[in-house]
This record gives sequence, structure tokens and C-alpha cells, in this order.
Amino acid sequence: MPTSIKMPRLGESVAEGTIGSWLKNEGDWVERDESLAEIITDKINAELPSPVAGRLAKILVKVDETVPVGADIALIEENADVSASPPAEPAPGPDAAPIEHPDRTHAIVMENRSASDGNGSRASTRATGTKVEERQRISPLARRLAREHDIDLNAIAGTGVGGRVRKEDILAYVAQRQEAPVPVGASVTAPSTPSIEPAYSTPAPVSVGSQVSASPSPAFTTVEEEGIEVVTPSRMRLAIAEHMVRSKRTSPHATTVVEIDMTNIARWLEKNKEDFKNREGYSISYVPFVMKAVCEGIRKFPYMNSSWTEDNKIILKKHINLGMAVATDVGLVVPTLYDADQYTLAGLAKQISTIAQRARANKLTIQDLQGSTFVVNNPGTFGTILSVPIINQPHAGILSMDAVVKRPVVIEDDAIAVRHMMYLCLSFDHRILDGAGAGGFLQTVRTKLQSYSREIDVY
Amino acid sequence: MSSVTYLEAIGQAIREEMQRDEAVFLLGEDVGTYGGAFKVSAGLLEEFGSERVIDTPMAEDAIIGSAVGAALMGMRPIAEMQFIDFIACGFDQIINMANKMYWRTGMPVPMVIRGPSGGGVKGGPFHSASPEAWFFHAPGIKVVVPSTTYDAKGLLKAAIRDNNPVLFLEHKLLYRLPELREELPTEDYVVPIGKAITRRQGEDMTVLTYGAMVHQCLKAAQALEQEDDLQVEVIDLRSLAPLDKETILESVKHTNKVLIVHEDTLTGGIGAELAAILAEDLFEYLDGPITRVAAPDAPFPYAPPLEAAYLPNVEKILAAARKLAAY
Repeated sequence: MPTSIKMPRLGESVAEGTIGSWLKNEGDWVERDESLAEIITDKINAELPSPVAGRLAKILVKVDETVPVGADIALIEENADVSASPPAEPAPGPDAAPIEHPDRTHAIVMENRSASDGNGSRASTRATGTKVEERQRISPLARRLAREHDIDLNAIAGTGVGGRVRKEDILAYVAQRQEAPVPVGASVTAPSTPSIEPAYSTPAPVSVGSQVSASPSPAFTTVEEEGIEVVTPSRMRLAIAEHMVRSKRTSPHATTVVEIDMTNIARWLEKNKEDFKNREGYSISYVPFVMKAVCEGIRKFPYMNSSWTEDNKIILKKHINLGMAVATDVGLVVPTLYDADQYTLAGLAKQISTIAQRARANKLTIQDLQGSTFVVNNPGTFGTILSVPIINQPHAGILSMDAVVKRPVVIEDDAIAVRHMMYLCLSFDHRILDGAGAGGFLQTVRTKLQSYSREIDVY
Repeated sequence: MSSVTYLEAIGQAIREEMQRDEAVFLLGEDVGTYGGAFKVSAGLLEEFGSERVIDTPMAEDAIIGSAVGAALMGMRPIAEMQFIDFIACGFDQIINMANKMYWRTGMPVPMVIRGPSGGGVKGGPFHSASPEAWFFHAPGIKVVVPSTTYDAKGLLKAAIRDNNPVLFLEHKLLYRLPELREELPTEDYVVPIGKAITRRQGEDMTVLTYGAMVHQCLKAAQALEQEDDLQVEVIDLRSLAPLDKETILESVKHTNKVLIVHEDTLTGGIGAELAAILAEDLFEYLDGPITRVAAPDAPFPYAPPLEAAYLPNVEKILAAARKLAAY
């Protein structure tokens, strides 16, 4: 009985995935955790490690076809004879022991495999397949629970120290998986019947929002007409569009703005930015200061770090995981800075720098893209002075920091001075918070930001 | 019936057992005329006479050695160590005689060695020992450590009635502690050796402890509930040998995190053995590292600030528990 390989759920709100490429051909031998295929989703591209060792008996979903999460995409024969694997398997290296005893056959096979690892061609795919899981921090209990619940550890964000996956993370994931709504495209594919179909049949590709799967690649495609151009958006653009409409429909947005005197921070940055970069290897900007202040605000107004649920409950989140919007070549992503309140200013600067680098290099993991509880957006880098952001669902609020600009300001004693000023715009879900809560939060943020003196200890 | 202290409960147990069974007798330094260094045996000489309440020379090997001999002859001696630190002088009689006799000859050795252990009373390096690990390691001897007044009496009675050598470790800090005063049942009772007790139930973490540390752990557990919303289960082991593995494993299986707290030094202590048992039996049930809070591997200090720094306390337990909870 061959084992069926299913389309994995790559991220919280992802309902479908597209086969980017098959890294194995039918008939190939695959090891457990060896990469089988490349999966493309709205949010992320990832290699799919094989859950079992065996012979890839049948590929059920072709390259560029999109199927819902959970759909069968391939079949692997676990009991397949190793010798059936094609001769592509490299010959034993010089160190491999000769076969002395039939009992040792299995051990020899293992040695062959490890010998092949250093052999170049397959090494890279194998390495990426296993590396992520090995590197993941996880408790022994969580590892066992994940195995029992058949959970891909890479799909889980840990909430322990350093992102470690613990018991509660697995249990929360299991609970969420049970509650998860049926994927959008499910009715189209009728996934309830595949077991009745002959094992080797190929299910028809799903068409979700016909434009998406009809387009052979996620790239922009254009159709020429008189004077206009019709563009089919990329998957990411579509995902953003869907999210924005849903957010505006879900949360009654209210926006409130404070003005902050950033003069001391600005002067400190002017003076120390270069040195800091040379010393630490990463830069520091206004963002860590704002994040730090936001954490303080959330501590004081915990409802800013919550979600309104469909059954009219409010979920307060104990971890402050800040999403940070990063513009990349392919579009906007909002990776997560976990437990932001645990870092110093320098620590935040380092996290921001590494996450942004990962985002721009298109190397974000699934973990990077889930678990955020509040977003700090920084359109100020584009010189904007007032922005009204849309909430990243299911958060309670989003904060935009606009450009720090010099303005004449009336200060104490009615004197006029040139100060570095910045507007902070907070959009909040009016179901959860009222103006008083939002204003109080902003006031805490402002007090914190204005509390810095000329000398700032960022460590 | 008025309430009694931990110390008075021990005196009651000795008196009642001597009344119940003529084979039971007490020997040790100053236990007779003086009534014991801590007055545990006050009044016993008058009640039972000098043949059953025997003042001995300052020679622990002789005290324990004669107790072993008497036990072999059918008596049930209670050998008091004036301070448990000096049990080291009788080490040979315990780990070469008392604990092996039944194994070698089939003759039981029903005896109790008891005395004040533990620190926190500014007793310095020779009057503060927690010697449980040495004897816990030796097969053939039971080791019990009562933490409450009820248990002190019930466990001592069980120890006296046990047919094996039992080391009964009293904690001198608890002797007259007002909050440990308790009204005890008027009727005869024993607390069985080998049974741990859950002093507080919880879901988030198990704390394994014994002796005076039980009270520090309970205080810490309360703080963790109030300040961190953590439900901590506190298990008082009561008996170190034999260990109540069933209760321990059951609890840790449920909470998945375990903190071990003892006053004895860290290396090779009771916690080391507990950690090994848990790692062997429950590895895949652990959601965090088995964590120990114990005294540092140094001799017991005399200076009060050093003693305070040396002993485990609520703050140290809280810090370790919080780290483990966040793991």
C-alpha cells in the first residue's frame, strides 16, 4: 500500500499550494526528509521533505498545478526494494565496508547513502530538506506529540525561549488545525472522495479564482487592448488584496495620531549611527526606539495586543510579537519579531536587520510569517508624514511611524525652536478599543520616546 | 488536646513506642539526665529508667555499633546522633554492618538512627549537615525525612516498627517553628515509609522536594500562582529510600516539567538520582530540562551572610521555576 503525500499547510491562512517543481522523478528512491518537491504558496516557497523513505511511485499533481492543502500530490512505496532505485544512486565510496554478512545489508545501504551525501549532486537538496528540522528547538515531549499528531515541525512557531517548540505550541496547533475552516477550493476538488478513486488516478487540478491557476507562472501577465493593459496580479498581490478587503470589512477602523518630539533620539543617531554600525555590523534607526516604546505601551494597554474572535470573545496575547512591514522586490511582507519586549534597543536593531535581510533575500521561513500580534509600519522611510494604515488581521491595531522632519515648534516658555518631529498614526479595531485606550497607548509610547536624554544606552 | 511542635511530636513517638514495646530503647549522648541537646527526650529517663534511656560516651561508632548488636539480639534501639554531622564517625557501622547484616545472615536489624540535620540556624560547618545522599546511596538502609509535625510522629513510629535499619533525619530548623504546630490524633497512627505526599496540586510544573525545603517550595508555589499564573505541584518525598517512584512519575507525566529542590549540595545529591530516573523513564514526557536547586558544592559556611547565600530559598526557587516555565 503506497503512502500518499499531501499538500502541506504552509502557514496559517494558506489554503492551497502550487507545485513549483518536482525534485524527484517517478521511480526515484527518496530518503526520509529528502526534498521531494518545491511548493509555492501566496506567502512562501518551500521544499517539501518526504515523510517516509521509499520509491516515488506516482506523481499526482503536475508542475504549476494548484491544489488545496491536504490533497494527495504523490504516492511513495515504502516497502519498495532498494535495488529498484535507479542506477543514479552513487556507488559506495572507498570507505564503505564490503558486505560480509547478510544481516549487515541494511547498514551498508545507510553507508551508501551517507557516502552519497558528500557527492555533490544530491547533497544540496538533501541538506535543505533536513536542516530546518534539525535546527529547530523543541522539547522531547513536543517532539513526541508532533510525531503522534503527524505534524510537520517546520509548520509550527515555538513560543518558548529562542522560539523553542513546547507542549502548548503543539496543542494549540492541533486545536487550530481542528478548527480550521475547510479550504476555499475544497468544494471544487471534492477531496472527500479520493480514497474511492483508483490509487493511481490523477485528480483534476483545482481552479480557484480561475485567473490564478490558469496563469502558468506567478509572474505578471499582460493582455494588450486599445490604450489599456490588463494585468493579472501575482499570487502575492492577490493575497494582499484579499487580506486588505477582509480587514476593512472585519474591523471598524479608527485612526488617531500623536506628534512626537524625536530630537534627542535624532541627535543621538546622528552622532552614534556610524560608530554603532562599524562596531556591531548592523545599523540602528528610529524603528527599534519606536518598537521598544510600543512594547511598553502594550504592557500598559494589553488590549492593544489582542484579537476579536468570530464568536465575540477577545483573545489577549501574552507574547508581544511585532510584525514589521518590509517591502521586497516581489511585494510587501510582514515578518515577525518574536518577543520584542525581551530585547534591548541594540537587540531589536539586530533582529530587525536580520529579519529584513532574510525578507529581501526571499529566505523567510513559515515561522517568520506567522504569530505576530501587532504591526509597526514605517512608511516614513519614503518621506511620508501622515499615513492611515490598515490593520493586519487578526490584530487589534497597527502603528505607522512617519518621517522625522525638522519643524518649528512652540516649546516651553512660548519660545519657538527647531525640533525633530514625527507623527505616529495608530489604526485600531474599535470593537476592542475606544479612543481612551488608543490615546492612552499612544501617550505611553510618546512619553517613552520623549524620555530619552542626549546620552542613550542602547544595550 | 493542645497543639504540639515538630520536636514534641518526635518525643511523643519515642515515648509511645517505648510504652507499647519493651524492646524499644533510646541511647545517645546526653539523652538521659540532660534530656537531649534539644530536649527531645526530656522526661524519658524518669519514666523508663536508665536501662532503657542510656547516656553514652561521645563515640558514634560505639553508639551505632551497640545498637546494631542489640537489634541482632531482638531489641529495637533508637540511636540518637546529637548532631547528625557526627554520624560520619559511625559510618562504618552503618554501611558495613547495619545495612548488610540481613543480607549476610538473614537476621533482621530493626534499628533507628535519628538526629537533627540541616542548616539555617547559624550552626556552621559541623552542625548543619544534610547527610542523606551518603546513606541514600547505600543499599539496605531506609532514609526518611519528615517535613511536618504529623509526619514526624507517624514516620518515626513507622521507623521504629520497621525491621530494617532506618535513618530518620529531623530538621532542626523545624523543631520549634510555631507555624508547624499541629494538633495530632489522640489515637495511635503511623505514616508508611515509602509514600510521598502531594502537598499542593498543579498542572504546569512538578516540584520534588523534602524536609525543610518543602515549606520554601510551597511559598514559592504560592508566589508563582499569584504573580505568574502558574499552577505548581509540590511533592514532599518524605521517604528518600525507598523512593515513591509511582507518585513522582505520575505527577511529572502530567505536568511535563520538573524542578527538584534540596538543601543538600548539588553533585551526587538526591536530585541527581531523581533526574536520572526521570530522564530514563519519562524522556518523551519532558517539556523542559530537569532542573535542580540545591546548595553549592562547598562546605557549609558559618558567617550568616554566607549561610543565607548558600542555602536554597524562595527567591532561588522562583528564579529556577520561572526559567523552566519559559523554556
